[in-house]
Amino acid sequence: MLSEDGIENRHGPPGVNSRSLSSVHSAADLEVLREIEHVYFSPPSEFDAGRHVLENAPSPPTCEAIEQMFTKLKRQQQVVSGKALHLISQQRDNCDREFAEIQNIREQLTKTLETCRQAREHLRNSSNHLIISTFVILANVRKRQIIRSVLKSLELLRSLRSVEKDVADLLNRKEYYEAIELILKSRKAASNHKEYTCIADLATRLQDTLDMTEEKLDSVLSSICYNFDENLFRKLRKAYDLLGKTQAAMEQLHMHYSSAVNETSVEALKLYITEASIDLKFQEMCQSVQPNKAPICLLNLCENLFLIMRSYYLLVNWHIKHDEDETLPTSNNVFEIEKNVSREYIRQKLKAGLIRLWHEVQAKVSTFLKSSGLEEYAFEKFIQMLGILRKLTQVAEVFCGDKSDILQDFIKTQSVSYIKNYHRGRMEELKLFLENEGWEQCPVKSTFNLLNLQEFKQFKKYLSPTKADTSIVKSLSDGASSVHSQDDSVYITKYFNKNTNHTPFEIFRNENVTNDDIFGLEPELEASDESDDEPEELKREFVDEADRHEYSSNHNEKSLESPSRVKESVIVTNTTLSVLRNCGQYLQICRYLPQISLEVVMLMNQLFDYYFYTVHLFFTSDLDVASSTLYTTKLNLVLKRISNSIDTNSGDGDAKSFPCPDLPQHLDMTSEEKLHGLSERIVAVESVIFLAKQYELLQPYLESIVAPHQKLLLEHFKDNTLAVVVDLRMPIYMCSASKSVDARQSLIAMSQVKWDVKAVAVEHSPYVDLLTRKIQVFAIRLDDISSKITLNMTVLKSIWSMVSKFIVHLLVEGFSNATKCSNAGRGLMQLDYRQLFVKLEKISGLKPIPYQDYVDRYVKAYYLPRKGLEDFIREKTEYSNKHLLALIACACENKRDRQALTAIIEGKDVLN
Amino acid sequence: MLILVTEYLFKFLVIGSAGTGKSSLLNNFIGNKFKEDRCHTIGVEFGSKIVNIGGKSTKLQIWDTAGQERFRSVTRSYYRGAAGALLVYDITSRDSFNTLSNWLRDARTLASPNIIILLVGNKKDMEESREVTFTEASQFAQENELMFLETSAKTGENVEEAFLKCSKTILAKIETGELDPERIGSGIQYGTGTSKRLSAPKKPARMTPECACRV
Repeated sequence: MLSEDGIENRHGPPGVNSRSLSSVHSAADLEVLREIEHVYFSPPSEFDAGRHVLENAPSPPTCEAIEQMFTKLKRQQQVVSGKALHLISQQRDNCDREFAEIQNIREQLTKTLETCRQAREHLRNSSNHLIISTFVILANVRKRQIIRSVLKSLELLRSLRSVEKDVADLLNRKEYYEAIELILKSRKAASNHKEYTCIADLATRLQDTLDMTEEKLDSVLSSICYNFDENLFRKLRKAYDLLGKTQAAMEQLHMHYSSAVNETSVEALKLYITEASIDLKFQEMCQSVQPNKAPICLLNLCENLFLIMRSYYLLVNWHIKHDEDETLPTSNNVFEIEKNVSREYIRQKLKAGLIRLWHEVQAKVSTFLKSSGLEEYAFEKFIQMLGILRKLTQVAEVFCGDKSDILQDFIKTQSVSYIKNYHRGRMEELKLFLENEGWEQCPVKSTFNLLNLQEFKQFKKYLSPTKADTSIVKSLSDGASSVHSQDDSVYITKYFNKNTNHTPFEIFRNENVTNDDIFGLEPELEASDESDDEPEELKREFVDEADRHEYSSNHNEKSLESPSRVKESVIVTNTTLSVLRNCGQYLQICRYLPQISLEVVMLMNQLFDYYFYTVHLFFTSDLDVASSTLYTTKLNLVLKRISNSIDTNSGDGDAKSFPCPDLPQHLDMTSEEKLHGLSERIVAVESVIFLAKQYELLQPYLESIVAPHQKLLLEHFKDNTLAVVVDLRMPIYMCSASKSVDARQSLIAMSQVKWDVKAVAVEHSPYVDLLTRKIQVFAIRLDDISSKITLNMTVLKSIWSMVSKFIVHLLVEGFSNATKCSNAGRGLMQLDYRQLFVKLEKISGLKPIPYQDYVDRYVKAYYLPRKGLEDFIREKTEYSNKHLLALIACACENKRDRQALTAIIEGKDVLN
Repeated sequence: MLILVTEYLFKFLVIGSAGTGKSSLLNNFIGNKFKEDRCHTIGVEFGSKIVNIGGKSTKLQIWDTAGQERFRSVTRSYYRGAAGALLVYDITSRDSFNTLSNWLRDARTLASPNIIILLVGNKKDMEESREVTFTEASQFAQENELMFLETSAKTGENVEEAFLKCSKTILAKIETGELDPERIGSGIQYGTGTSKRLSAPKKPARMTPECACRV
């Protein structure tokens, strides 16, 4: 309480304001109060009033001072107590009021407390409810989250499980890149979820899927070999890029190409071989292909192989283009460098692959050709085969710039062996033709030559006589090489275009394609220009009947009076035409295979030789006149040469010789009425001569197609064989001519003449009439023949020459039989043969009669002096010893001379 | 080189008027392409084929003759010794049918009276222009003891059959002894390589009746 007083006192004494006015003493009291030392108002803990007073006791502690102080203190105490009492009473109401206030507040507090308590109670209740539900929610949320993540994993798992299917789908849609991407992603996902046990399984399955996908990619890659699809390849490549296996894929692709070559080759053959032989090696398969199927099989093979080549070609092109498109800037980045290295590697690989692939293709084709019995191909098929190979070499040139020397060589050797085999067949056929030949004149028009034959259509421009030699050379070189190959390469390149389904081999499937189309030879425009006026004739109308009839009627009057007409006739046989046709085919081979021209020409000549030889063989088999003068030296040489190549022992002939034809049984060579087959003989001989002429016509062309140093061979053939055929007329016509008169009968008739007559006769001997009659009969029969066949003057001349040659010899023989002869007898001889020759001239139209010198000289030698006679017998070897001895016996009256000359004649024998 | 062993060789003729398709028939038979616009044959052409008849490999030597009159003299010389012949007419040409008897006479007199002839009505594919009915041709064949077939060289229908049928008949006649391959001019020869083997069993067979006669 004191402290409160104190505080109030500091602000002023608490009762000053309120009680100063109410009390009369208050002023004095106040004074007293004022006088109280301030220190007394300090709190008792800090101030000890007693001590203070003691300390402040008056210095001389007198009673008075103490009394005074006491009084003062007493006074002060009274005032303070009064004051305090006053104050207390003064504040009592306030206190009561405050107390009441306090009570009030206490009550309020209690109420509040109660409210609070209640509120808390409520709050607790509500909070209890609220927190639990929140927790549930939270917990649920958390759960949901967990489930979601589980679900995600599960979904992942599910998606991982379905990867296989999806990949398959993608693969089906050819989305290789996406497929690989999917797998790789899945793998990554799988590795991120290793915690799942099932993932392990899945991971292996994924690996399997990846492997399978790669296999699938590989199989798609292998399909590229057959048909290069740019889009497909781009996809594949992207996929492989993703796999990081671009290079490996290229290696793989190359292997695929190799196996594609193998497979496609087998595939091409499969259709044409029996089931049993499918498991064989390729070569054996080739051998089991039926020969008649081989050409089509070859075509398939080449076509299939071409498709692979085209695919590879496009692949290489794609790479070139692709490389250009994205040439990477040179970079130091290791990865980039590596990529460039890989790219360069692939580029090299591809470049080398071109050659390698071609070699593989070449090997397949060669194997096929070697074992497919090329020799058995039909001619057309062989030409087609050549065409196919030619195309193939062209393809190769475009493909890899290779000149295909292997194939070229192969073509050459095979061609030679084919043509030889083909030739063998033609020779057999020729033999058959000759043996069956009826030796009838084939009715061709009088201007016929080989150019009229279809087989020679293509050669017309080379053979046309109006053309200068230069044009031949020029057009030949045109047809041969470079110009064409360039065009060809452009042409072939077309087929390497990816947008085409065509192959250069399709042309061979076209039925209407000509060989020239196949070989890309220019069409024969010039030739057709020239033959505008006679295209029909070219085909069929070179056969002409009208001419023949006209001629025949003319001929009956007097053939030799119209030589111009007669000269035009052409005598050919069916076989001649067939030989010529074969020549045409042989020349076609030359056109397509200029490198073997000489071989072919030589074989062509062999056809001629055989024909020539056969005619001689058939039609001189009954030659009964032994006269060395019938055969010229050259003719003998030719016949000898040819007979070396003909196997006369029929049977075990070696490969080089050809069997000798058998003498035909169906020809009537004995009928006298038919002049012992003279008609056939004429047709035979003249057809050989005609054939020789045709060969000669071909010579300039032939010379132009063989190498210059080979020309000599052709010239030799021309000079020593073709030019000699006319000599064949003599021995063959002699066969008939020698039978025109009966030699024995004639000689008997001559022997009945007396040559030792004294006087010169005025009449010729009877045997002359006999001979003349025979000759007349011969002439009539010859006329019959000429109504059947066109006989030109040369033919008639040579026939009559032979007749006269025979008669001349007969006369000499007859004269030499006269052991005795007088001057007049010699005269009679002259008279006789002159008379005979006059008749003969008249009948035969020959003037002068050839060979008459032979008898003339012989008869007149009688008149020679001894010296002349000696020279005569020394020099005239054409007379036999018998003739000469008879001459001497008649001419030499002097016995010594006779013996001397006889000795000379007999000496000649020894000499020879 | 492949050497084909044949047991027999038959000489065949293909005869008939010009333009009936003889060459086309032959070419079809030996495996060449059909040519729409073929030239007339000049003289005689030749083709051969080895066929298998009843297990016997037989070479057919076929002479395809020109049908044009002007070649008659040339072609006649090939008739001799033919074992079989296809006598061809064109079903779209009455004329070609009408001349058949001439051709037939030629074949029988020039070749051999025993020649096996098969009548061929060619150009079967051109039904719309047919002038000769199957029935009348059959009748002609029957009257003249010919076999008969209608063929198309264009489609190849019956072509092979024609040759084979004719060959079979010849072979059958050889086997019954009606035809003797060893007679000259029979048009039949033993083929390469097998002649000895073939003729060996044949000879005793023929000997037997002779022996029987003597005994």
